[in-house]
Amino acid sequence: MGEMDFIQNEVLPSLFEGLGTSILLIIPSAVFGLVIGVAIGVFRVFGNPLTEKLASTYVAIFRGFPLVVQLFIWYFGLPHLGIYFSPYTASIIGFSLCSGAYHSEYVRGALLSIKRGQLLAAQALGFTRTGTIVSVILPQALRRALPGCGNELIYLIKYSSLAYMITCIELTGKGKIIASETFKFTEIFMIIGIFYLVMTTIAGRLLQYVEFRLEIPGFEHYGA
Amino acid sequence: MSKPPVLRAENITKRYGKKVVLNNASLSICERELKILIGPSGSGKSTFLQCINFLVTPDRGRVWLDGREILRTHKRDLNAYRQKVGMIFQDFNLFDHLTALANVEIGLTRVRKMGKEEACEKAMQELDKVGLRDHIAKYPAQLSGGQKQRVSIARALAMDPEVMLLDEPTSALDPELITEVLAVIKDLRANGMTMIMSTHQLNFASEVADEIIFLEDGIIVEVGPPDKILYEPECERTIQFCSKMRELYGNSR
Repeated sequence: MGEMDFIQNEVLPSLFEGLGTSILLIIPSAVFGLVIGVAIGVFRVFGNPLTEKLASTYVAIFRGFPLVVQLFIWYFGLPHLGIYFSPYTASIIGFSLCSGAYHSEYVRGALLSIKRGQLLAAQALGFTRTGTIVSVILPQALRRALPGCGNELIYLIKYSSLAYMITCIELTGKGKIIASETFKFTEIFMIIGIFYLVMTTIAGRLLQYVEFRLEIPGFEHYGA
Repeated sequence: MSKPPVLRAENITKRYGKKVVLNNASLSICERELKILIGPSGSGKSTFLQCINFLVTPDRGRVWLDGREILRTHKRDLNAYRQKVGMIFQDFNLFDHLTALANVEIGLTRVRKMGKEEACEKAMQELDKVGLRDHIAKYPAQLSGGQKQRVSIARALAMDPEVMLLDEPTSALDPELITEVLAVIKDLRANGMTMIMSTHQLNFASEVADEIIFLEDGIIVEVGPPDKILYEPECERTIQFCSKMRELYGNSR
């Protein structure tokens, strides 16, 4: 039983501490990522040629660079230009910008699925372009984007484990430290895996709930 | 009889690529008049109506409301103008994420900046007028085509427009539902709403129109009172079109 005691007394408290850090990374990154994603998606579909180009370039870069490389640039690269971020801040910036690039694709797809007639009807009533997008297009498009964006949020939960690469010691980082001290790699990483599984399951349920709450006739998901 | 026109559109021209869909079309309408555009599909009726409120940008042509020219580059003027010119679409274009009531309210609250309560009251009145008091809480997906079109009429009326443009308002409806929408339009007519409408319902046109405009290939071929255009047209093409439509839909006389 020494094994169980050790895990209960030494490993778990440390992992829970890491879990706390992970959650503190995930929640702000998820929020910023979504906001960025919606904004970029809108610019790509409804922007002028310049903002459309800028937004597309942003997506190309942040989807194209490996996330670890982006984090290294934010944390190790920018100090050479005199810009310093804490590991925590650098991680959030990295995650938000990367997540935003992916979200924007889901949002863009959803925006394109809204029929042109919706736009015409709003314009015919005297809506401004911005008013049309905010009051008519986005409320419909976001409902359609939700499943995709939810997928991205689940990804975010897992790629938050990269933060330890730039010394922001979250769940995976903690685990790696304890594991290399104790050589109990299998046990510790199994536990960590389960932690992530629990987080993604909870997030999945939450997303299902949100989808359910926002469901309105004409936008329901058919099937089982 | 020399009242100044409420709305005037002059020399509207629209090209898509090389194809001229609307060629120098002009029209003016006085208060309480109903003018009806007829013509084969693809003749430019929709384009003409959509050019009038600049949902389609004409390549050339000018539009006046109440004697004031509308410059579409002045966004604020354009939006104010569009509030005064209601538009009804062939496929309704109700906002799919909003209930019937909210569809009518949204223009009032977001565009006219009316208070929520006042907007709700007005929206209820407008929906009542088109006979939909019992359906205000339904979403577009739960309404029949005729009901959707009536909601869209209520939505346009709520803005207190001076003129209404109706782009084939019954073409997406099956025959039974057409009647309920036409009845609402007749009501509007009786209450003195100024309207420009495109339609294939020649019987309806002959009953209510002040003037019929026959359009083909983007050109206004013939204009005149219903009796003349429908029964004694001058142009060969108008004769052909009207007799074909009568074959399809029966003679009103």
